[in-house]
Amino acid sequence: MHDNVIDRSKDLTILELLDRVLNKGVILTGDIVISVADVDLIYLGVKLMLSSVETMEQLKSGQAIIKK
Amino acid sequence: MINGLIYVYCISNSHPELSRNTLFKGLQQISFRGLNVVIRMVSESEFSEDNLKRNLTDLAWLDSYAREHIRIISLLMEDCTVIPFNFGTIYNSQDSLLRFLEDYYDSLIEKIEYISGKEEWGIKMYFNHTMLIEQIDELSMEAADLEKQIMASSPGKAFLLRRKKSELIESEMNRLTKSYGQDYFNQLKKISEATMLNNLLPKELTGRDDTMILNASFLLYKDKASDFTATLNFLREKCVGFGFDIEFTGPWPPFSFISIKEKV
Repeated sequence: MHDNVIDRSKDLTILELLDRVLNKGVILTGDIVISVADVDLIYLGVKLMLSSVETMEQLKSGQAIIKK
Repeated sequence: MINGLIYVYCISNSHPELSRNTLFKGLQQISFRGLNVVIRMVSESEFSEDNLKRNLTDLAWLDSYAREHIRIISLLMEDCTVIPFNFGTIYNSQDSLLRFLEDYYDSLIEKIEYISGKEEWGIKMYFNHTMLIEQIDELSMEAADLEKQIMASSPGKAFLLRRKKSELIESEMNRLTKSYGQDYFNQLKKISEATMLNNLLPKELTGRDDTMILNASFLLYKDKASDFTATLNFLREKCVGFGFDIEFTGPWPPFSFISIKEKV
């Protein structure tokens, strides 16, 4: 038996999460969806955030708690 | 009749017991000809088109909701077969959601059957440029031969051969990373029912010093998961000394294997 991913979901980085739940082309439907352009913007935001060393260390250690 | 916006987590093949976990608090289910849709009513202030767009730029908001999205679907996956929805899929009304279910019914049933008993795993493979160069004579016969020639040559000739070797190293590194990546992908593919290649992520996003050479998802039968992880661990141990590394995550709901084409 293996642990389900949820048992470790606290340890997943925001990148792993987004890589899975955002731009997989899962179902292109719904009255409101997150568009490809939105996804690009999100990744841009993540890049900017990661360029701050402090938050990068937090993310690496899995504590994706982002200070505002 | 439901009023407000409908946030969809997933469609399942059966009716999960929502009282068993506090995370399920506030979730509702809509049944449609044997399909079960797990939803939450959400507010316009967070999820209307404009507000959602604005919230997406707030990484703390995004992080907490994306995490919740995954956790809920993963928990539901323990009891049922689920078709996970992308994060942030919203219907304006129950009518609109029912229309979608009606229009895509055959395709949804087909997908449920297809992913039944299966789960998704993600792997990311990286290589460390410096470490690989240090080991190049062990990995590449051509590089090793050239090194022998250099050792046996006069200083002048050795200088020229060294220049030749640095070119060779670049092309050999390219060849080696491709062949390792491909070989590992093929071995994991043998255990899997389907595979999906994802975009390679740049270093700014991974926050790692090494370079991503493979980002792939695998769909496999749940009872193959231990085979899969054992193979991964074996492969990782084999290559880690040469500067490669493999990260894997799972089991995931089959996010990468259920794309449903928009009807024209």
